[in-house]
Amino acid sequence: MRIRPWQRAKQDLSEELDSHLRMAIADRIANGEDPTQARAAALRELGNVSLIKDVTREQLGWVWLENMLYDLRHALRQLRRSPAFTATALLTLALGIGANLSVFQLLYSIVLANLPVPQPTEIVRVHAALSPFDQSWTISSPAYERLRAATPDIPLMATAYADDATFQLPNHSPIQVACEPVSDNYFSGLGVLPAAGRLFIEADERLGQYEWPAVLRYEFARRTFGTAAQAVGQHILLNKKQFFIVGVADRRFLGDITGRAPDIWFPLALQATGAFAIPWDSLGPGHDVSLDKPWYNQPTIFWLFLTARIPPQRRAAVMAHWDHVFRSDRELMTEATADQAAKTQLLGVKTTIAPLSENGMRERFTSPLTLLMALSASIFLVGCMNLASLQLARLDARSHELGIRMALGASRHRLIRQIVFEDALIVAIGTGCAFACGRAASVILIRWASNRNAIFTLDLHLSLPLAALGVGLMLLSLISFSIVPALLFMRSGVARTAGSSARIAGSKDTACQRLRSNVLLSSQVGLSLLLSTMAACFAATLVHWETVEVGMDREHVLTVRPDFHQPKYTNHAELLPALYSQIQQRLQSLPGVRSAAVEMCGSIHCGWITSLYVQGGSNLTDGQVHGQEDHVGLGFFSTLGVPFLRGRDFSSSDTKGGQPVAIISRAYARQLFGDADPVGHMVGYGPAPADHKFLIVGEVADARVNGAQREEPPIVYMNINQNPAPVNSIRVRTVGDPIALSESVRHALPDVDPTLAIDEIVPLSVELNGDLGTETLLASLAGIYAGLTLLLVSIGFYGVMSSRTRRRRKEFGIRLALGATRAHVQGLILSQTGRILLAGVLPGAILSVLALRTASHLLYGSINANALAIILATVVLALAGTFATLVPASRAAYVDPLETLRDE
Amino acid sequence: MTESKRYQNRIELMQGTLDMLVLRALSLEANHGYGIAQIIRSRSGEAFAVETGSLYPALHRLERQKWVKSEWKLTESRQRAKYYQLTASGRKQLVTDHERWLQLVRAIGAVMEPEVQA
Repeated sequence: MRIRPWQRAKQDLSEELDSHLRMAIADRIANGEDPTQARAAALRELGNVSLIKDVTREQLGWVWLENMLYDLRHALRQLRRSPAFTATALLTLALGIGANLSVFQLLYSIVLANLPVPQPTEIVRVHAALSPFDQSWTISSPAYERLRAATPDIPLMATAYADDATFQLPNHSPIQVACEPVSDNYFSGLGVLPAAGRLFIEADERLGQYEWPAVLRYEFARRTFGTAAQAVGQHILLNKKQFFIVGVADRRFLGDITGRAPDIWFPLALQATGAFAIPWDSLGPGHDVSLDKPWYNQPTIFWLFLTARIPPQRRAAVMAHWDHVFRSDRELMTEATADQAAKTQLLGVKTTIAPLSENGMRERFTSPLTLLMALSASIFLVGCMNLASLQLARLDARSHELGIRMALGASRHRLIRQIVFEDALIVAIGTGCAFACGRAASVILIRWASNRNAIFTLDLHLSLPLAALGVGLMLLSLISFSIVPALLFMRSGVARTAGSSARIAGSKDTACQRLRSNVLLSSQVGLSLLLSTMAACFAATLVHWETVEVGMDREHVLTVRPDFHQPKYTNHAELLPALYSQIQQRLQSLPGVRSAAVEMCGSIHCGWITSLYVQGGSNLTDGQVHGQEDHVGLGFFSTLGVPFLRGRDFSSSDTKGGQPVAIISRAYARQLFGDADPVGHMVGYGPAPADHKFLIVGEVADARVNGAQREEPPIVYMNINQNPAPVNSIRVRTVGDPIALSESVRHALPDVDPTLAIDEIVPLSVELNGDLGTETLLASLAGIYAGLTLLLVSIGFYGVMSSRTRRRRKEFGIRLALGATRAHVQGLILSQTGRILLAGVLPGAILSVLALRTASHLLYGSINANALAIILATVVLALAGTFATLVPASRAAYVDPLETLRDE
Repeated sequence: MTESKRYQNRIELMQGTLDMLVLRALSLEANHGYGIAQIIRSRSGEAFAVETGSLYPALHRLERQKWVKSEWKLTESRQRAKYYQLTASGRKQLVTDHERWLQLVRAIGAVMEPEVQA
């Protein structure tokens, strides 16, 4: 066995003192003393051996450590002795602290954290001009080059948005990855360093390369190739283009848009290959752009977002210079509108900058996350209170032991230290668990908060603020559930432990104790009421958005996403209408399918912005002519359940050569025609001299095609058979549950075209609900919290009332003997619960009203409707409290009075 | 309780002098705790009976200061005992302590018997 240094020192000292004693005895015997007497005298001379040892050891400086080890061993023994308390405390702390950590992790990475680059506040978005239709801050490639050349000392970076791409390694199945085209100075301008290899340089933008350079995100590289270094030099296929991995970005760098972390970055020049779907905007349908040709020299394709690193003192000058350079582009952009006021306004726009944090994410999440942080703090508080009352009860139970130890001379200081030490151990282990759970919980929270189609990727590395919060909560819980109760107990406990006769003297302390536990319980009731109310309101809000009328048959539509973007289909677009018709017929022949139709839009938020001008109509503003456009097949409206208000549906007689027809929604008709009948009017994409070739044949009701929470947009539907193009979705309306039909739909499609790939099959309701990230997050988390606190409160009532009825057993026995009924005894106990409930519900209700007021923008429905939730929560709490009390109450009511009297 | 606070007119080892005495006792040769106590007792003419409860803490204190070092050896009577030995820095410390002590004695002497000094 290994001997620890302090143990060796202790042994050494014993031997040394032994040898001292032996020598002293030997000396005395040598001087002629009697051996027995010699020994006694030598021992007397030596003195108190233990004291000498203690004093000597103190010189060595080991004693504190030794005491600490004793206390640790004692603490472990105590914890083992009360597994129920230990488990409860650990669980409470892990949950309480873990909840706070996980919500804070989200709050930190979405709202508080800066970009992990040097001087992050110098990085800004540059807003030169809003694109005419999509209203996004994008500019053309030539404009970007000019702006960049105008200020060579200011790094101006351009990025584009690209749809997910198919990533393939040799001998691996393909996966979908997020990618972002960036300019060659993107990483150098931001100040991002490579974790391995190199980042982009100017030469990477050269066109016509056989193999394109790519930079990977650290986690993606690690997941795919093992390590960052192993990724460098690998050859990969992205949308069937050859790529060569030149480097991996720093592990903390997840892109410049919060939540959206690209797996792969590649040069902007890749656009020219046409392999990647990049959203763009232009001057409108009347102005032709060559989308198939490279975009780098086309001044009317707006697709680049600008980011720059500008020192604050130079901002004004740089902006003014850019405005000057950008003037010609503004003039060009005025061609997109016929609205004179809009033209003038466009020319007057100045280039501005915005901090990177203004990305919508922060606005969307700040208040929900702050609210959740507050709720998490309250559940932590409830947990601490629960532990504090548990701790007081536990100390009470140990008062005999502690009293005896004190009587034997243990110092108060040492006792408190031992108690706190015990709890510090629990808190430390609990916090460790909390960090582990918190991390796992963060992943779940991110899933809830994300949109269905885009799971957020956030930096979950341990950050200094997070660690500080963890340690702070740890100390706070230690103080509230250990140090304060221990001190309280020590102050009041000493008198009681003096002897068993002190039971009478202790009655004052008991009253004080009762008050303490009543206050603790009431506060828990109040906080629980708050959490239950919030949970009910958030759940109601979520249910509202999940069931709100969207103008479509949301529960019976299945969306199939086929991949028609293959040369086989795009090169022979004229064959597509026939194929669509075959698909429609095949699907409609399936049992359980009511109808099927194709649609250009693949998902919600898809329709592109267009403008419609009425032949012979008066001049309208941009706000009136702008709307959304979608191209759909036959039977689309009956498939989605959108009712016709006027006119007719598209028919098979509307063919490519015939009269182009359009169907408009109520909102668009109101914009263009007021309350007049739109059917029969001719419309076109441009004002007067332009061609107005579309005949409006019908008007349909509005539908929330952009998501349940967004207004019904004005929308015009064109017939896809008159302008054949690949569609992005096939909608199927079913009789029953659409999910039940997804497999038969998947199997039926290859009958028509075995080469057609199906990316996804998903019900419309899932798609619509996928947008409800914050609502889901709030409802789920508040629901969990409410359930937990309800449980804690019930346990609290049960515990407190049990111990009280046990103490008053005799009293109840006497009452029963004197003629009180059992109902009366039960009533006595229940009335106590009632009083505590009342004391908690009143402040809790006030707190809830205040919370509802602050959170009203996150809730659907009036304050009054939500106030109903308070009443509901109160009833639930009252029921929980009453049930928890009923058990000890009936136990007390069935005390045998005879037995009690015999005891007396 | 007032008993112990009464003024005690007895010669006691002054604070810090024990360490010096122990160092001095070890300056000739290495010795064990019992031996050191015997040396101090006999040299002081039985005036100082060094208490075990003070001696051993002192020895360990000195060892921690690295002024003495210890090892287990056999005594003349073939018994195991821990022998303490002065280190170089201990020797230096002894010289300093001794000088300070002489200064103190001279100063006290000058106060107590001014005529002798004059």
